[in-house]
Amino acid sequence: MYSRHSLIGSMARHALLLLAVAFAMFPFLWVLSASFNATDGMQMQQLIPPKPTLAHYKDLFTSPQYKFGIWLWNSVKISLITSTFVVALTALAAYSFSRFRFKGRRVGLLGLLLVQMFPQMLAIVALYVLLLTMGDFFPFAGMNTHTGLIMIYLGGAMGFNTWLMKGYFDTIPRSLEESAKVDGATPFQAFVHIILPLVRPILATIFVLTFISVYSDFMIASIVLRTAEQQTIPVGLRVLISDNYGNRWALFAAGAVISALPFLVVFLVAQRSLVSGLTRGGVKE
Amino acid sequence: MKRVVVLVLGVLLLAGLAATASVAGKLLIWADDTRTPIMQEVAARFTAAYGVEVEIQQVGFSDMPGQLLTAGPAGEGPDILIGPHDKLGELIQNGLLEPIVLPTAVIRDFNPSAITAFTWGGLLYGVPYAIENVALIYNKALLPVLPSTFEGLLTLAKGLTDIEAGKYGLLIQEPDPYHTFALFSAGGGYIFGYDASGVLNPCDVGLDNAGSIAGAKLLDQMVKDGIEVAGADYGLVTGLFGQGKLAAMIGGPWTLSDVQKAGINYGVAAIPTIGGNVPKVFSGVQAFEISYYSKNKVLANLFVKDFLVTKPVMLRLFELGNRPPCYLPALADLSGNADIQGFAAAGGNSIPMPNIPQMNSVWSPWSDALGFIVNQTLDPETAMKNAATQIRTTLGCP
Amino acid sequence: MRDSFLLRHSAKILGLGILCALAIYAASSLFVAGSYGLAAVPVIAAGIITYIFLSGRRYPIRWLVPGLLFLFVMVLYPIGYTFLGSLTNLGTGHMLPREQAIEQLLGRTYAPPNAERCSYLVFQDAAGSFVFLLQGRNTILVLDGQATAVSLPDERFVDETGDGQPDRILNYRRLETREIVALLPTLQQVRVVYEGVTFGIDSLTEFSVQMPRYSYDKATETMTDLETGTAYTAVQGIYTSVKGEEIYPGYRVWVGFANYVRLITNPQISAPFARVFLWTIAFAVLSVALSFALGLGLAMLLNDPHVRMRTLYRVLVIVPYAIPSFVTILVWRGMLNQNFGVINQMLMSLFGSAGRVQWLENPWVAKAACLLVNLWLGYPYMMIVALGALQSIPHELYEASYVDGASRWQQFRKITLPMLLMPLAPLLIGSFAFNFNNFNLIYLLTQGRPAVPNTLTPAGATDILLSYTYRLSFEGQRGNQLGLACAVSVMIFLVIATISAINFRMTGTLEELSKNV
Repeated sequence: MYSRHSLIGSMARHALLLLAVAFAMFPFLWVLSASFNATDGMQMQQLIPPKPTLAHYKDLFTSPQYKFGIWLWNSVKISLITSTFVVALTALAAYSFSRFRFKGRRVGLLGLLLVQMFPQMLAIVALYVLLLTMGDFFPFAGMNTHTGLIMIYLGGAMGFNTWLMKGYFDTIPRSLEESAKVDGATPFQAFVHIILPLVRPILATIFVLTFISVYSDFMIASIVLRTAEQQTIPVGLRVLISDNYGNRWALFAAGAVISALPFLVVFLVAQRSLVSGLTRGGVKE
Repeated sequence: MKRVVVLVLGVLLLAGLAATASVAGKLLIWADDTRTPIMQEVAARFTAAYGVEVEIQQVGFSDMPGQLLTAGPAGEGPDILIGPHDKLGELIQNGLLEPIVLPTAVIRDFNPSAITAFTWGGLLYGVPYAIENVALIYNKALLPVLPSTFEGLLTLAKGLTDIEAGKYGLLIQEPDPYHTFALFSAGGGYIFGYDASGVLNPCDVGLDNAGSIAGAKLLDQMVKDGIEVAGADYGLVTGLFGQGKLAAMIGGPWTLSDVQKAGINYGVAAIPTIGGNVPKVFSGVQAFEISYYSKNKVLANLFVKDFLVTKPVMLRLFELGNRPPCYLPALADLSGNADIQGFAAAGGNSIPMPNIPQMNSVWSPWSDALGFIVNQTLDPETAMKNAATQIRTTLGCP
Repeated sequence: MRDSFLLRHSAKILGLGILCALAIYAASSLFVAGSYGLAAVPVIAAGIITYIFLSGRRYPIRWLVPGLLFLFVMVLYPIGYTFLGSLTNLGTGHMLPREQAIEQLLGRTYAPPNAERCSYLVFQDAAGSFVFLLQGRNTILVLDGQATAVSLPDERFVDETGDGQPDRILNYRRLETREIVALLPTLQQVRVVYEGVTFGIDSLTEFSVQMPRYSYDKATETMTDLETGTAYTAVQGIYTSVKGEEIYPGYRVWVGFANYVRLITNPQISAPFARVFLWTIAFAVLSVALSFALGLGLAMLLNDPHVRMRTLYRVLVIVPYAIPSFVTILVWRGMLNQNFGVINQMLMSLFGSAGRVQWLENPWVAKAACLLVNLWLGYPYMMIVALGALQSIPHELYEASYVDGASRWQQFRKITLPMLLMPLAPLLIGSFAFNFNNFNLIYLLTQGRPAVPNTLTPAGATDILLSYTYRLSFEGQRGNQLGLACAVSVMIFLVIATISAINFRMTGTLEELSKNV
């Protein structure tokens, strides 16, 4: 599908990509410039601030009131853990949906999709009660704990992710597992040792998508996490702009810039797996 | 390698910490980030005096009522929190606040209208620490002499407005109902009228009476004259003022810290008379409140009465938040402060924002109407009449 | 071979055993705490899980158990809760359950005019019991639950320090201020009744008269105000007097399907319904189509091994995804400001005043603005998904078709697109559902505005079904009406589920289930 390009073709491609980059980055540049701004007005900035300062970045990490460093660590930790578990849970379920035929399979798949469509705006009160009850029995998983928060995120793990993975699994020929079965492997062993390595792109996809969705979540984290030491970045930063007339926009912008970095790192690492060609050798179809 | 990763992740998973809540014998206080520093100072003193542990949690100011609603009944709420008076009705109707016990002598030390703002059913539900209203904030360099009428101000403003150069004479932010109320109230406009016994009557909507329509027409004229411009939100107005590109704005004490930082020579004054009448503005009051679900009510009361109601604390709150104190001894100390005097002058005729839940239905139609006027989509009279009718329909009035 | 079989099986049995033990522990604690209904849940769940793991036929379902467990607890339970909430009048003034509301009202006190305040001294013995000495109009001694008047000096009191204040009575020792403070949570529960008047602690130094404000008659469900004598009966969860006065807090009651009826018959909903519904559908469809097109296009460009610096481009282009949306939507809002936003400033420098686009004020342009911002927010997701899915297309197909003389466009249309749509169709439908309910964007960017002139309903030009109906629930006449908002959620869910089900049929997504090899 991809052959070498002519010079014009190459230039055209780069032009398109640069256009896309400009579209993508422009608002980000605005946030970046705001973070260097000496005063706080959001509206009044120019792209290059007149008196750039790094004071806001320093404030972020040294301010006793805003524990940005802790929030950053919490966010990264929670997102990494959740993404890992989500990939595991989803892979298990998707494999089953793809390979086995069992009663309730169609209904289950359809149900997974439909359940995601329920507007969950009022889940707040329900989750609150749930966490409190859980906290009574398992104090490490109750209110204001990271374990409790991660468990809530895991609830949303199945759904589209399962469909995506299942579709991917469907494209892998069964002959691989069949030969493994002949060799005496259980389905689980075939799954772990043969299939999983083959589907690295989709595992990376789900990991990346889950990471960013957990990382930028505000609603659920704000219900569960109550103390500054436990909070994540969206919850912590929100305090800066929640008072209508007390915006600390520049500090907030600095926080937003730094908070973008972990995801970019994750993406950088994962995108190699994302586009790794499948080692399709092994079976001639 | 993979197993190590899994193991590490598993251990991290179990490293969650315990929850916090209103615990008997320990005080939990919610403060927004502006007030957290002072609360921590007071908390330290309280702990030193009585050996009781006090914890301050930083919560967004506008998030507090919503969070109290879920956290309180679940036992996760604070003992003490702060809140604005216009949310009082909602919190009380949900049974979230505990009446505060203050000796009569202490109550007399507070601004009476602030106390009224936090009284419901004859009981006091908040100890007010700040009262705010908008006033005219102007740049003394651009406006050395302040006209005594609003019409005069508009004439000057028109002369000072040069959109190409990015200079403006007078801007009212957004414009939103809270900031433009002066225009409406001067001629006799009001939101909800009072009935014979002095209780707000939500079916007596005054947004389309003669005074309100006159105010709307004035705003319309300001737009036609090029003085008022669409899209001027808070950040913009204060930013322009801070850069010396705006001669005057209608704003509250919260704008002052940015203005001071920008080094503008500014003045605060009452809004000049409109059509010969003195305009009324809205006042907003903030107070310390005690949660009904607190397990330490007497302790919380003690904290508030003995440690928060003191002149130094009230003055410090003023320093941090720029809002005039409600505590009269502290206010007296500030009699030399020109800003406070200016806001007091503007607020001399202020009325508290109504705190009944029916207000929820008012803001949207009203600001939509203002939007129509500023964007010149509708004429002012139609816009206000539509808004009033919409409000009456939503409230189910005859 | 045999040994590992036994090993694996014993591990499984052990695991199931622990699970059942935990379930029984949880169930019994819940049972003891009084939540009988809730206590059944862990038992049933553990039972089902054990069955699945022991039954050979249910082997495939074992793979689903971990994911389903979390799904049930964290997703299905809130849905159930929301549905139940929609059958109540949950809202401002009706948030509490009945017992809590009654408890709160019964805890209210009042002080009659000229009620006295007493200073007090507290004494405590080694066993922890208290003795109080109240000094007001009378001097009252509270000992062993009896309140009697005494006059000082009394021989039971011992003044050890000679300061005129008793330090001991019998074997009770006087408490210092700091000790009192430490004990306040307990002390604040104490009530002293003397000559029919109830006293309670109200500060560090004083007892005050605290007469119960209300009395409750369970049989007639009436609250009587003991101070004024007014009677209040329970009407739809609020105690109301004959004259219509209400006392707060009220409580929540079941109202059956009343909320649903209100939704369907509310003229404020039915009047703009068609307009809002059409825009919601258009918004969702266009958002998906546009972001998919851009995402797929970028994915293909960045999948091309001959394009240099691919990695750098990929990272730069993914940036919209890296910042939380509530930040970027606000930034967009600032950029789209009519007079001061940077976009119009650039346009105006190029085109003069014709460049002053009313991004958020003109109804049609505002709709376009919503689509533009949603495109910016949504294409990274599509790009990531497409990048992953592109890997699943075997190269041999392209090679074979190239040999057959197919052009790149034909390859795209006949190979890439169909092979992508198979796994991605459900995602596209899911993305449609997500955008149908994309309350977040509308709320932060436009709040449904610009308002439509000359209508009597508050539905704005960019309101989607969810944002409008929620707004009605929260800006209605009685404060926040959560029960109504729950009903809204359920109804919208029914709408979107129906649409999606139809979509599934049409795209044959479900057919694939049976055709899959």
